[in-house]
Amino acid sequence: MVRMGQEDHAAIRAVLAGDKDAYGALVVRHSASLFRVAFRITGNEADADDVVQEAFLRGYRKLDSFESRSNFGTWIYRIAVRCALDRIGGRKVDERHRVAEAADPEQDQVQVADHAAGPDRLLLSGEIGALQEAAMHSLTPTERTAFVLRHMEDRTTEEIAAVLGVAPNAAKQAVFRAVHKLRLRLSPLRVSI
Amino acid sequence: MNHLNEEELIEHYYSTGVDAAQEHLEQCAQCAEAFAALKSDLGEFVAIEPPARNAAYGDQVWHSITSLLPVHEPRKSNWLRLNLWPGLGYAAACALLAAIAFSAGRQWEHRQVQTAVKVTPLPAQHPQQPAAEPVPPRERVVVVVLSDHLDRSERLLVELKHADADSAETVSPLREEARSLLAANRICRQDAKKIDDPDLAEALGHLDHVLAELADRQGSLTAADLARLQNEMSADGLLFQVRVLRSRIPNRRTDKTARSEGGEI
Repeated sequence: MVRMGQEDHAAIRAVLAGDKDAYGALVVRHSASLFRVAFRITGNEADADDVVQEAFLRGYRKLDSFESRSNFGTWIYRIAVRCALDRIGGRKVDERHRVAEAADPEQDQVQVADHAAGPDRLLLSGEIGALQEAAMHSLTPTERTAFVLRHMEDRTTEEIAAVLGVAPNAAKQAVFRAVHKLRLRLSPLRVSI
Repeated sequence: MNHLNEEELIEHYYSTGVDAAQEHLEQCAQCAEAFAALKSDLGEFVAIEPPARNAAYGDQVWHSITSLLPVHEPRKSNWLRLNLWPGLGYAAACALLAAIAFSAGRQWEHRQVQTAVKVTPLPAQHPQQPAAEPVPPRERVVVVVLSDHLDRSERLLVELKHADADSAETVSPLREEARSLLAANRICRQDAKKIDDPDLAEALGHLDHVLAELADRQGSLTAADLARLQNEMSADGLLFQVRVLRSRIPNRRTDKTARSEGGEI
């Protein structure tokens, strides 16, 4: 990790000295992690690819403001999250993935076991995944990003707050709201055995 | 017993260590059930695995953006600036401290000089001498002490020169004054030797002899004794010497100041 940090800083010095190609090493090294978080936030492969490219472009333009004592991986990760947040905030939510509040009652009749993983559940897992994705789309961009970072990226409240540019308590509240909404969305699916 | 609300359950779900909620869950079946339901719900949301990207993905990203990137102007100064700022900050702080210390020292020194002058004011200065002359405080005190001693000695010698041996009222105070001046005269004489001033040392030596004669005389001072002392004074030209030394003091100080201003600076 330390070695990677030193290599990153060496590449940044080279870029700032006029060697544009040195930035390629940084792109190659960090593209995969950026794509992962971008996909989890946007939920869309094409959007995630765009976010990765946009993040590296923004990072390149801001590189002279990068502080030498920082970690480039963390820095570019935050830029990517901001890009993803902007993207899901700016786009219209695809209606195909939206589950309206007044959904068709027939939809709510999809029932799964609460704790046991029975055959029915396995058969319906694909549909559950789609509903989960729809529930995720029902969140605000901030809630979705906070939930992804907390639940899937295993980031701390402080890290989420730093990425979102909000106070830690606000970040925590965003996670609370996201979980509450998601559970509410999926509650019709749950039945007791 | 207060039950845990949903926020507390969520916080406990994402916490890594053992917290108060854990103890409560072990004792409260209702909250334990609620927590189990939360755990089940959130367990459904497994981390979304992104579509696989091949090993060349990073290169692909790089090739897609490389044409959009301008070449950075060499900014060595930027890195220099990042590294120099802390150093410049320290240097500025040190310079500020030095300036404050210098200013405080000047103020303190100025006040010390004023105090010394108030306590032992100088006699009237030479008319051609500037009013505010920068003299080191220690030297000024020494000069003032010597000046005062010579002043008193001169008065004593004048009175001794005109004293009448028949008048006890005149002679008795002279002996008291001589005893008082004797100790100071010896200190001044030692200092004169230390600073290598033979004229001053010699004059103070003569003065010492007269003062000792006058102070140590047992019994009353006879007319013969007084005449002998007056003759010694006249022979040595002691009163004249003291007056010359007395008048030299301002000049000595002026010479030293001029020497330090012209030679050392």
